[in-house]
Amino acid sequence: MIRSDIIRGHLDSIILRLISEKDRYGYEISKEISTRTNNRFHIKEATLYAVFQRLEKKELIESYYGDISKGGKRKYYQITTLGKAYLKEIAEEWKETKEIIDLFMEGI
Amino acid sequence: MKKIKVYVNELFKDIPESEQKNAVMQEVTQNLEEKVLDLMEQGKEEEDAINKAIVDFGDIDDLKKELGVKSALPKPKKNMTKLNLGYSIWGSALIIGLFVFINFYYSPDIIWFVYPTFAVLWWPLTMYFRWLRTKENAK
Repeated sequence: MIRSDIIRGHLDSIILRLISEKDRYGYEISKEISTRTNNRFHIKEATLYAVFQRLEKKELIESYYGDISKGGKRKYYQITTLGKAYLKEIAEEWKETKEIIDLFMEGI
Repeated sequence: MKKIKVYVNELFKDIPESEQKNAVMQEVTQNLEEKVLDLMEQGKEEEDAINKAIVDFGDIDDLKKELGVKSALPKPKKNMTKLNLGYSIWGSALIIGLFVFINFYYSPDIIWFVYPTFAVLWWPLTMYFRWLRTKENAK
C-alpha cells in the first residue's frame, strides 16, 4: 500500500468529490475509494468520520438519515452549494500544484 | 454483532458525552455492522469478518480532535518568576534589615552588616535574571 501522508492531505477533497457525485454513506465511501484505486489505497474508517465531522462543521456537506437497511439506519451525506464551490476551487488548486511538482519530478 | 457494539463503546469511552458523540457512535456502529455483513457475504466467517472490520477501523485520534477532546498534553506551568522575584526582594530586605538592626544595636562601632548583605543579595539577583529570561522567551 502506498505511503499515505501525501494522500492524507487531500482526503477532504477526495471525499467531497465522492459525495458530490451522489449522496453517500460512510461505508459506501470507504468501499468506493478502495475499488476506484484498485485496492492501492484504503482509507481508515476512523479517519473518514473525522473528515465528515470537519466537512460538516465547515458546512460543505449535510447529513440525513436514510431508510432502515441492513444493520440499521444509514446516515447519508450530501454536498451543499458551498461545498460545490469549494470543490471546484480545490480542483483548480490541485491542477496548479500538480503542474508545479511535475516540473521537478518528471523525466527522472 | 455484540462485539462491534462493545468495541465502539470502548473506542469512545474517553470522549465526553454529547449529542454529537452519540450520533457518531451510532453511525460508526451501523457502518461497521454493514461492513461485517458485506464481508460475510464474501464468504468470511462472522468472527473473521468482525475482526477484520475492527482492524481496518484504525485509530481515532483525528476523530477525537474533531469531537473537541483536549489532547492529553499537560498545561504549561504557570509563570511564577515574577512572584518569586517579589518574594526574594521582600525576603532579602527583611534579612538585611535584621542585620542592620543587630549591627547598630549591639556593635555600633564596627560596620559589618555589609558582608551578610552581599551574601543575601544573590537571592533577589538570581530571581531577577530568571524573571528577565522568561520575559524574553515570552516575546
